[in-house]
Amino acid sequence: MPSAAPTQLWLVVALICGPIIFGLLAWLAQSERTRNILVITATCLTALAGVALAVQGPFMLQAGPGTGHLGDLLEAVMVAVVLGIGYKQKIWPVFAMGIVQAGLVVFEHLGKGAESANPTFILDSLSTILVLIISIVGSVIVVYGIGYMHVHEHHAPPTTASTGRFFFFLTGFLGLMNGLVLTDSLKWLAIFWEGTTLCSFFLIGHDRTPEARRNAARALIINVFGGMSLGFGVALAQHEGGNGSISNMVQSAALLPLVLVVLATFTKSAQMPFQSWLLGAMVAPTPVSALLHSSTMVKAGSYLLLRLAPGFVGTNLATVIALSGAFTFAVTSAIAISQSNAKKVLAYSTIANLGLIVACAGIGTPMAYSAALVILVYHAISKALLFLCVGTIEQQIGSRDIDDMSGIMLKMPYTTTIAAVGMVSMMLPPFGMLVGKWMAIASSGHAPIVLLLLVIGSALTIFFWAKWLGRIITTAYHDHYTVENLPFSMKGALSLLVLMVIAGGAMTGVIYRNYLSPLAKVTMSGSPLANDSSVLLKSVDEFMGWPLITIIVVVAGVVLMALLGLRNSHTRLPFLCGENTPSGTRTFVFRSLMDQPVTAHVSSFYFAPWFGEIGITKWANPVAVLILLTLFVRIGLI
Amino acid sequence: MNKLTLAIGAVVLAPFIGGLIQGFDRVLTARMQGRKGPPLLQPFYDILKLLRKERVVVNSQQILYAYMHLAMMVLALFMLFMGQDALMLLFILAFSTLSLVLGGMSVRSPYSRIGAQREIMMMVAYEPILILMVIGMYLVNGNFRLQAVFEAERPLLLSMPLLFLAYLTVVMIKFQKSPFDLATSHHAHQEIVKGLTLEFAGPCLGVIEIAHCYEVAFFLGLVGLFWLSNFWIAAVLMGGVFVLSLLLDNLCARLTTIWMFRFMWSVALGLALTNIVWLYWH
Repeated sequence: MPSAAPTQLWLVVALICGPIIFGLLAWLAQSERTRNILVITATCLTALAGVALAVQGPFMLQAGPGTGHLGDLLEAVMVAVVLGIGYKQKIWPVFAMGIVQAGLVVFEHLGKGAESANPTFILDSLSTILVLIISIVGSVIVVYGIGYMHVHEHHAPPTTASTGRFFFFLTGFLGLMNGLVLTDSLKWLAIFWEGTTLCSFFLIGHDRTPEARRNAARALIINVFGGMSLGFGVALAQHEGGNGSISNMVQSAALLPLVLVVLATFTKSAQMPFQSWLLGAMVAPTPVSALLHSSTMVKAGSYLLLRLAPGFVGTNLATVIALSGAFTFAVTSAIAISQSNAKKVLAYSTIANLGLIVACAGIGTPMAYSAALVILVYHAISKALLFLCVGTIEQQIGSRDIDDMSGIMLKMPYTTTIAAVGMVSMMLPPFGMLVGKWMAIASSGHAPIVLLLLVIGSALTIFFWAKWLGRIITTAYHDHYTVENLPFSMKGALSLLVLMVIAGGAMTGVIYRNYLSPLAKVTMSGSPLANDSSVLLKSVDEFMGWPLITIIVVVAGVVLMALLGLRNSHTRLPFLCGENTPSGTRTFVFRSLMDQPVTAHVSSFYFAPWFGEIGITKWANPVAVLILLTLFVRIGLI
Repeated sequence: MNKLTLAIGAVVLAPFIGGLIQGFDRVLTARMQGRKGPPLLQPFYDILKLLRKERVVVNSQQILYAYMHLAMMVLALFMLFMGQDALMLLFILAFSTLSLVLGGMSVRSPYSRIGAQREIMMMVAYEPILILMVIGMYLVNGNFRLQAVFEAERPLLLSMPLLFLAYLTVVMIKFQKSPFDLATSHHAHQEIVKGLTLEFAGPCLGVIEIAHCYEVAFFLGLVGLFWLSNFWIAAVLMGGVFVLSLLLDNLCARLTTIWMFRFMWSVALGLALTNIVWLYWH
């Protein structure tokens, strides 16, 4: 890997520090106008730097002298902030874990004296993908935030923190995430890791309502626990002779540090039993949920797991990781069916898809690995889009209940159409999510229990998406639709994302063949099932040729045909068990007994007694804990 | 090239075969009920009549869903004959069904919506079994491509007898036969108001009927996949499954969605899983 050119060094600095600095300036900005300009500069800078870095290709960067001490300082600051929050807000578990972390830091420094390794930054294919997701999708979400927060400010509770602060943490998040995926030093990884945890804490608690505080505290507890686990993993890896880099950790045979770090990735990517923090995170303003769920936070966990995957492939850890991911996938997909809260459905779907990534990382064949990458990329775009859509809908109709979304096609056709495209992209060909799911199922053929869980989960996924999609597209006939008024930044962000979704769907084959599949083949060449997998991959490769193009052409053709066939006036009212009352848009009112008007209403199927959140979580969490404990059993610790 | 000709031929012929099967279905059902029944070609007359009517819709999206339903069904059949990846084939089929469901959901009619939601439930109920069937084919042939099934010497039925039984329940669902005709039933069997397709009319309904012809041909054709090496055995299998489904249809009444779901995810899924585990052991 070539060492970095000066431009690349500056690009890395711009990607990590740029958003943080501009975010800080935005916080200090006096007027909303200045703040918006600063935020937009930050996002444009990040997106451009991200693309520029990706174009220039892989490199390795050894940071200059003195940066090691900077690392020590930042480490201390992070621990101090955790301790401070824990003490001030009386979140005692966090305080306790902060003390443990402080002890760990002190112990480490006493152990090896004063020398501190300078950080290394590496840009390879995996980090390129992540940098692109963070800097493009993340930036679009931040831009959306400008319009959203303008409205949010007016009806937010009086306790709410300042919007400037909000944007500082929002853009700062992007910088920290870029650092997280670019660094190869475990120590710096831990610093960025803790940084994203803190950012998410402040963002979730932004409204400072009791609920927001509670959920922010929960997120902090779980993620600081993960950070602690990571810290122990890092310390142990160094203790056992590692040189403190991630690549070294992947190559070493020591399994305990690996298990600890894997545990950390599970907390960050909200795998069962750690899912509760991500569900609570939806109290935050929408851009936060969008950012946490799609391009940042949870992707940090999946990224690290994918990074480590070659380290545990073929070991008996891998089967447990696969099982755990598949379990999360099936269970959370089931719970999503019973949810009527749109954001909660999205949250459970996020957890489910992350579970799928974890399962793929555990299966560890080149095919599974490329499935994980496909899901990682496409989920980021589609989920960001869906969250932003739900946020927009919520601001307009004042509810996030799916049953209230009947008829929004008339009120806000623009957002609704985009949301429908987003949902379609989550479950149908030729979009990447389905391709990823398909490859995941195909590659789990040798692991029967994982397979069963994936199959069940994937069937359940269709259910909750279809019923929601059906709900929002419900409409009577209208000659013309009036497009709703949205702030420019929101409309722009939505349009940009939906274009990315459609273009991504049209180019699934290209992206898969040129970027994702080669990376997977190189990374997972050590998999014991690599040969087996190559037969299957050949089948996938062939599908990515003419069959995929045929699907795209057929779908596009039918959509076009339907659009052309729109001009027809032969419309009738639906049948409602009686004569329809003639009243404009309210076509769902009919004359019933005694000539009384009755409104026809159908709610969705939720099957709450079967798939209820509380009922399922009650048994699924202990099972998930058991599965995680098996990780430790497998390496002989228990 | 030969494969391509065959596939195109299948796409052209399938609606006629499917239509004939449905016509025969009506005649046979009528005989079972002691009626004379319509002429064999009745489904064709129905479809032609529907296609010639004026286009009446409740909203403009309906056209999209009806045509998408048909297009994806045709594509699935095409992919089948091209020997493509069987798992992807299932997803294309799911796309087809989902389009119809969305068509039903897009209308503000309770009947249509309930029918559509039941249809999704049915999809959720049978999808795992179809996927497990494909996994079974993979375990037998080491490949997901249907080409491998076409080239295999040993009939699939011998390796996957229980999966075959489980698949029969899927056929019952796809044929809209009792006790699984929850979303909409085909012969005014026990419905007062139609479900899923209630709000489709004229050419749109005609298109859906054509798609159903494809569906019938497709799923009955898949039965033949279990014994490809001998045409006559395959034909007997298909005929047997067909008659059996009619018999059950006339013996049973429609049952509830929950019952169907329970049945599919316990009995049928159990059968499929047992077979899969058995395949692992070999």
